[in-house]
Amino acid sequence: MLAVLASVAGLAISVYLTVVHFSTIPLACPANAVVNCEQVLSSRYAVIGGSALPTSVAGIVWFAISAGLALLRRRHALLAWASIGLVTALFLVYVEIVQLGAVCIWCTAAHAMVLLIFLIALMRSDGDRVGT
Amino acid sequence: MSRQPAKHVRPMRKPVSRTPVWVTPLAVVAGIALLVGAFLLIRWYTTPVPPPPLNVDATQKVVTQITSIPASELDAVGKGSANQLIKPVSGTLLTGPKALPEVFYLGAEYCPYCAAERWPMIIALSRFGTFSGLKTTTSSSSDVYPNTPTFTFHGATYTSQYIDFVSVETTDRDRNPLESPTAAQQALVNQYDTSGSIPFVDFANRYAFSGAMYLPDVLSGMSWQAVADTLLQPDSNQAKAILGSANLITAAVCRLTSDQPASVCSSATIQALEKSLG
Repeated sequence: MLAVLASVAGLAISVYLTVVHFSTIPLACPANAVVNCEQVLSSRYAVIGGSALPTSVAGIVWFAISAGLALLRRRHALLAWASIGLVTALFLVYVEIVQLGAVCIWCTAAHAMVLLIFLIALMRSDGDRVGT
Repeated sequence: MSRQPAKHVRPMRKPVSRTPVWVTPLAVVAGIALLVGAFLLIRWYTTPVPPPPLNVDATQKVVTQITSIPASELDAVGKGSANQLIKPVSGTLLTGPKALPEVFYLGAEYCPYCAAERWPMIIALSRFGTFSGLKTTTSSSSDVYPNTPTFTFHGATYTSQYIDFVSVETTDRDRNPLESPTAAQQALVNQYDTSGSIPFVDFANRYAFSGAMYLPDVLSGMSWQAVADTLLQPDSNQAKAILGSANLITAAVCRLTSDQPASVCSSATIQALEKSLG
């Protein structure tokens, strides 16, 4: 259930970022030397492979599938899916810190949901291995 | 004689200790924290320290040096390693305050690509007129290519008998507002800079480009004087990038001025680059 809730939260964040990308809705985010959502979301890493699709669309897909796997209680599939998400999230964190020198709090919130889903899937999987 | 059934004795089992369920997730979180710490270390290690800003005299010395590069050296570099980004556009001839063809620049002091492109712009435009009041600055510390040494057009003036140069620096290096484009200038940007990139340069609505013609990393960690010194070496990466870009800009301006002054525009290098503009 917690994994489903985390997926829904991540989905909501991804939808919000996608809507902001395609509309004139201002982004609710402070701007200072460290936190600068605008700088991150206007960088070349904010779109998928040079296309016009924002990275948050991939987030929508990922969190939707994650919610589905959690609802269906497919623990091993969820762990594998969460592993992919975690690696991707770590790459995006690398881009923020090393390449851009700025952090997007919305992106960080979504990454935190990915980590939470991974940890939940890991603990459930560990529980299966150990047995009753 | 009756017999009592044997009591079933459970076998003794040695208790097995189990790893607490919180250990693995804690190990994962700790590992991620270490990774993030490593990222911060990499960022700190690879971010060049911004050079201390130059005083007025030192700035003037650098500007004089880069605007006095012999034409023979500029011709020898040719296009250098610059990417040809200048594209023909169509529209009513854009003229400036003195009714001369206007070269319009839109950028920002934080922007590392603007930082890179101001060097060749100053060199090129100085072949047609004179800048005064240029000041040194560096691009943002918290962006790609941090602390790229450059100048700012904010507060500077340009005089020429051939062209008008109008610049808009929208923010300082910390992204605080500086200048805003007029409605007419914004309309130009909307029309010719569909990607919304900066720097954006419009050559009198005849040619335009956005972005930098070379990557700012060739200037990484250098002082302004060091950059100026490398421009005297035609084989240096900085010369090929900056002087190559300057030659492309010069060619575009020559198209606006009907190849005047002849001392600049009649060189074989500039003539060849003009042809490549289309």
